[in-house]
Amino acid sequence: MDNWIDLARGPLFRISLAICLLGLLYRFGFTSWQIMEAHRKAGDKRIPHQAVARATLQWLLPWKLMKIRPLLSVASILFHAGILAVPLFYVGHVSLWAGTLPGWWPRLGSGPSDVLTWMAIIGIVGVLFWRLLVKSSRDLTRAGDVGILLLLLALAASGYWAAHPASSPMAPRAMLLVHMMAGNLALILTPLTKIVHCILAPLTHLLGEVGWHFPAASGRDVAVALAKENEPV
Amino acid sequence: MAIATSYYLEELDERELPQRFLDAFAAILAHSNYTLVLDAASRMKAHCGRCAETCPVYQETAEKRDIPCERSELLLQVYRRYFTLGGSLKARVGAGFVLDEAYINRMAEEYYRCTACRRCKLECPLGIDHGLITHLARWVLAEVGLTPKALVVSVREQLEGKSGNTSGIPAPAMQDTCEFLEEDCADEHGLKIEFPIDVPNAEYIFFPAVSDYLLEPDTLMGNAAVLKATGGSWTIGTKNFDGINYGLFYSDRLLDRIVSNEVGELERLNAKKILVGECGHASRSAKAFVPTFCGGEDAPEVVNIMEYTHEQWKAGKVKFKPDVIKQKVTYHDPCNLARSGWVTEQPRELLKHICCDYVEMTPNRQDNYCCGGGGGTVSIDEIREFRTMIGGKAKADQIRATGAEIVVAPCANCKKQVAEVCQDHGLDVRICGLHDLLLEAIDAPDFMKVPKDDEDGDAPTAEEN
Ligand code: HEM
Ligand code: SF4
Ligand code: SF4
Repeated sequence: MDNWIDLARGPLFRISLAICLLGLLYRFGFTSWQIMEAHRKAGDKRIPHQAVARATLQWLLPWKLMKIRPLLSVASILFHAGILAVPLFYVGHVSLWAGTLPGWWPRLGSGPSDVLTWMAIIGIVGVLFWRLLVKSSRDLTRAGDVGILLLLLALAASGYWAAHPASSPMAPRAMLLVHMMAGNLALILTPLTKIVHCILAPLTHLLGEVGWHFPAASGRDVAVALAKENEPV
Repeated sequence: MAIATSYYLEELDERELPQRFLDAFAAILAHSNYTLVLDAASRMKAHCGRCAETCPVYQETAEKRDIPCERSELLLQVYRRYFTLGGSLKARVGAGFVLDEAYINRMAEEYYRCTACRRCKLECPLGIDHGLITHLARWVLAEVGLTPKALVVSVREQLEGKSGNTSGIPAPAMQDTCEFLEEDCADEHGLKIEFPIDVPNAEYIFFPAVSDYLLEPDTLMGNAAVLKATGGSWTIGTKNFDGINYGLFYSDRLLDRIVSNEVGELERLNAKKILVGECGHASRSAKAFVPTFCGGEDAPEVVNIMEYTHEQWKAGKVKFKPDVIKQKVTYHDPCNLARSGWVTEQPRELLKHICCDYVEMTPNRQDNYCCGGGGGTVSIDEIREFRTMIGGKAKADQIRATGAEIVVAPCANCKKQVAEVCQDHGLDVRICGLHDLLLEAIDAPDFMKVPKDDEDGDAPTAEEN
C-alpha cells in the first residue's frame, strides 16, 4: 500500500500536474493565438473592448449567475469556491510543494479547509440534483457531465476522510490512496474536458465578439473554393 | 431518402449530400473565423441548461431539440467528427457518428426553428453564441441548397433580377410611390415633404426595407418629414433602394454582395453615409458588415433613422408636441437593434415625450424577447403557425400584459410578425413604426406647412416647387 501511495504522490502526481499545467498553458496560448489570427484576418478590426470586458467580468464574478436558476447558482458557487481553494491553499497540499511555492502563498488551516470541503461537497450534490431535477438540464446531461461531478465528489469526500481518519469508512491509507488517485485523474482531465473553462473563461467573450468579425474576403474565397463564383443565386 | 422540411425548398440536388455538406463546411472553415468559435464551444460547453430558460421557442415547446445548447450540438458534432484530430481518431477505431442525409435533414429543420435572436447568449456563462452557430449552420446548409425558398427567391431578385430589390419594385414605381406619398402627406397631414431622388453629393443615402414602399406609407412619410424639418441632406438612389439583406440570415457570401451593392450606390451618388430606415436586420447588416466587407475603418458610416431623429431632436433641429398620442403605447425592441445595446434609449425618449401613456413590456432592451419572426423566418408563410403560436408566444404574452393599444415595432420584419402574432392570439392592437407616431406629433416649422388652400388634394410636389 505504501508503495502505491508513494507512486501516487510522487511520479504519478508529477506527471499529472505536468499534463494539467502544460495542457492549460497550451490551451490558453493556442486559443489566444486563434483570437489574434482571427482578428488579423477580420475586415473590421474594431472591437468594443468595454462591452467585452463587462461581459467577461460579469461571469467571472458570481452575481450575474443569480439571475437565472439561483439555487443551482448557489450550489455552483459553493462547489467552485471549495474545488479551487482547497487544492491550491490547504496547508496539507501546500506542504507537498515544500520549497517550490513562494513564502507569501496563502495557506489554509484545517478548519477553513474543512468548511470549504463541505461547501464543495454540498455544492456538487446540489448541482447533481439540479441536473436530474430540471428537465432541460437533464435532457442536456451526458455521461461525461455526471462522471466529472462524481469524480470531483469522490475527490472532495476522500480528502475530508483522509484528513479525518476517525470518521473514514475505509482504512485510512486506502482512503488516502483513493484521494490521491482521484486528484491525479482530475488534474489530467482538466485540460482535456470541459473543465478547461477554468483557463478559457476569461477569453470566451472576446472570442465570441471576434467570431462575428469575418475576414473581408471570406465570402468571395468560399465562392472560389466551391467553384461557385459564377453560379446564379 | 427524400429531404423533407416544414418550409418549401426549391428543387434540390440530393446526390452525395453528406459529402457536399462536408466540402462546403471545409471551405467555409478554411476562409473564415468560425473555427475559433466552434473549437471553444465544443471544448467548454457545460451542458448546464441555463440557456433553455432564455429561449422563447424552448419555453413554449419544452422539447429537448429546442434547447439552444442541444441545437448547437448538431453542428458541433459534425465539426468534432470531421474537422478535429480527436474526431478522426475516434472514427478510425469505428466509434463516433457518421453524417448522413437524415442528420442533414434534421439540421435543416432545427436551424430554422431558431430565430438567431441571440437572447440565449446573454445567459450562457461560457459566452457561447448560439445565434452565431445557427448563422454558420445555415450558411453551410445554403451551399448545398437547403434554404427556405422564400428567402432565396427574394435574394435572387435583389441580386440578379430586373428590379434589383427583394419586393420586385421597379425604380419608376418607387418614384411614383414617393410622389404619391408627398401628395398624401400634404393632404392628410398638411405637411410638405420631399423624397430626393438620385441627388449627388448628399450626406446620407437612404435604404429602408424596400417593402416599406408597399406597406408602410406612414413610416416613410414620418422619415421624410423629420429629414425635411431638420434640413437633412439625403437621397434615394434609383439603382439600389433596398436595405433588406437576407444574406445575414443564411449566407455570408450573399451578405457581402448585398452590403457591397449598398456601398456601390453610395459611391455612384457620392453620398457620405448610409442611413437605414426602420428595420432591424437591415440596420445591423449594414452597421456590422459594411465595415467588414467594404473597407474597415475607412468604410462609410452607418446610421439608423431612429438614431438620426433622436440626435436632431436633442440638438433642437426638430420639435415634437408632447403628449399628442393619447392611447397606451408600448415599444418592441427589434433584436438586431437592441441585443448589442445599439439602439434602445433613443426611441424610448421620443415616445415618452409624445405619448401620454407609455408602458414598457418586460423584459426589454437588451433582454427583449424576439418577435418570433427573426432570422428571416417571418418571410416563410408556410411556418406561420410555428412562428406565431410558438416563437411569438412570449411576445404575445408580453403585449397582453402591458394592456397597450399601440405597439411600436420599428422594423419591417417585426411589424409583419407582431401583427400576425396579435392576430393569431386575438389581441386587438395597432402595430406601427416610431416615425408613424412622430409624424402625428411633429411640430412642423412654417416652411413645411402647406397653405390652407392647397390642402385639399392640390399639394405642390417636389418637382413643382
Ligand atoms: C477560475 C476558474 C473557474 C471559473 C471562472 C469557472 C466558471 C464556471 C462557470 C461559469 C460554470 C457554468 C455555470 C455553472 O454551472 O455554475 C462552470 C461550471 C463547471 N465548472 Fe467551473 N469554473 C472555474 C474553475 C473550475 C475548476 C477548477 C473546476 C474543476 C476542477 C470546475 C468544474 C466545473 C464543472 C464540473 C462545471 C459544470 C457544473 C455542472 O455540471 O453543471 N470549474 N464553471
Ligand atoms: S438565438 Fe434565440 S431562438 Fe435561437 S436558440 Fe437562442 S434564444 Fe432561442
Ligand atoms: S448556458 Fe451555455 S453552457 Fe449552459 S447549456 Fe447553454 S450553451 Fe451550454
